[in-house]
Amino acid sequence: MKNNVFWVIAALCILSSGIQAQVQSGDSLYALRLDLGYSYNKTYSHHFNADIGAFVPINRHFELQADVRLSSANFYTAAAQLRPKFPLKVGELYIETRAAYRAIVRNNIQEATGGLSLGYRMQYINVQIGCGMRVFGPYGMKYHSSDRFILEPFIVLYRVEAFVRPQTSRWNIAMAIGNIDNWQMERMWQPIFMLGGRFDADRHWRVYLSSECKPTGMFHLNAAFYAADLRAGVEYRF
Amino acid sequence: MPQTCGREWNTDSKAMKHSISFLLFCSPLLFLLTACDPETTNLDVAGMFSGSSPRADKRFEDSQAYNTQHGIDTLSAQAECYRVYVCTDTHVDTSRRNYLAFLTDFHADEDAPLAIHLGDLINAQKHWQFFVETWQIAPRPAGKRDTMMVTLGNHDIYFGQWTEFKQYFHTSSYWFVVQTPSGAHDFYLVFDSAEGVLGEKQLAWLRSTLRWAKGQPFRHRIVCTHTHLFMQDYSQGHTSNYPLEETYELLDLFASNDIELYLSGHDHCREVTSLQGCTYIVVDALEDPAEDPAYLVATISDRITYDFVSVTR
Repeated sequence: MKNNVFWVIAALCILSSGIQAQVQSGDSLYALRLDLGYSYNKTYSHHFNADIGAFVPINRHFELQADVRLSSANFYTAAAQLRPKFPLKVGELYIETRAAYRAIVRNNIQEATGGLSLGYRMQYINVQIGCGMRVFGPYGMKYHSSDRFILEPFIVLYRVEAFVRPQTSRWNIAMAIGNIDNWQMERMWQPIFMLGGRFDADRHWRVYLSSECKPTGMFHLNAAFYAADLRAGVEYRF
Repeated sequence: MPQTCGREWNTDSKAMKHSISFLLFCSPLLFLLTACDPETTNLDVAGMFSGSSPRADKRFEDSQAYNTQHGIDTLSAQAECYRVYVCTDTHVDTSRRNYLAFLTDFHADEDAPLAIHLGDLINAQKHWQFFVETWQIAPRPAGKRDTMMVTLGNHDIYFGQWTEFKQYFHTSSYWFVVQTPSGAHDFYLVFDSAEGVLGEKQLAWLRSTLRWAKGQPFRHRIVCTHTHLFMQDYSQGHTSNYPLEETYELLDLFASNDIELYLSGHDHCREVTSLQGCTYIVVDALEDPAEDPAYLVATISDRITYDFVSVTR
């Protein structure tokens, strides 16, 4: 019975790009992951995504993460994060440097975003705040025309995440709110709500599920549902 | 998935205490946010979690029902070159001095058949009558015939006020044409962005209407709404705009359908940006306590030019 309850909870709760609960016993491992997802938003309507990612623990103080997303809505994203980290007596401080490039082919627009944030993580909480900037513009700009890149020079990046179990647990569930996930750095006033979870089948294999909900108009004080994202994936660690 | 992937990080029993402290700190803030009395505040704080007026698709349906019954407006300009007065964010409540100055200037201009209000007509609830009366009391030369078109801002639908807006203005998404003596036609489309997203139905309508308009021999194509597209500064601090996906979709729509001018407000701070043949203008706020209240006068002839006019001049 206990077993059934666990599987029901695991299936229902599943996960989000939030789920940081990556930890294994012992040192970090290299990881490769693949997930497939369904998304809906009021602009693109229904679409599907395939995500590929890699995690590289460079040494005790640096880690690198790379992600690629291919979407049936005809946009493509590549993102990288370099994370220097500083273990403290309680928890760990880290600095996250992010860069992302998005080709929105459907709209003939390309976008590059960079960000720098400071984070602090403990067994049950992860908090991150920083800033970034974004440039976007049309492909194939015609010079001597009105074409140009638009610069959004200051994006506040934030993320607060809570876990239901310690990081060393075999399974975990996390809830998060923020304007960043692995593929996007949204505008400050467009928070994303995330729920996710993972289960380690053994030392090498992990399965995870994630979900995101993005409302719009919260700071118009006229909130409405805008987008949902569901993903399921596997990760191999070695 | 995770951003904080990697090795186990240090912890001890204090971690849980810190987590609980954090939640306890946040709870009073949430309480304060949700406890505001709607009778005494201008802000519909509960709207942060769920807007109190019907959402975009329903408002669009209501607007289309009126449009179907009422038909399309065709306004007549008395000359080939005419002027359009554009204001936004009047936030009329107990004071309407700047808005009245705008209307007085507009009515006095013989070559201006049209004014457009880009939303946030009122500041809070119970001020619709005061806003409408201002139009009636503004001095107008005898024989001057003019029209003002309006659309919704986010303040206009706080506290469920879509009902009142409909009662006075009937529709928030529509298009109309201004015809000149020689038969030139200028196309104006007004849409509802009061909640920072168009909604599926209105976006589909926008796509098809702009595509249709591109195929017509209009002299100019102009789009008007409340919400601005870019965040090139944080002039108003907390003003949100569209999600990125919607921003890019709209940019592409305007570029591919030969829209020349996108007029918006919401940011309370003037901004002019050109991209792919379209000029995106954020018009200054005209509310009474604004630092430098101004409106825009567009001169429409074979080309479009514009000036900002300060009401404190």
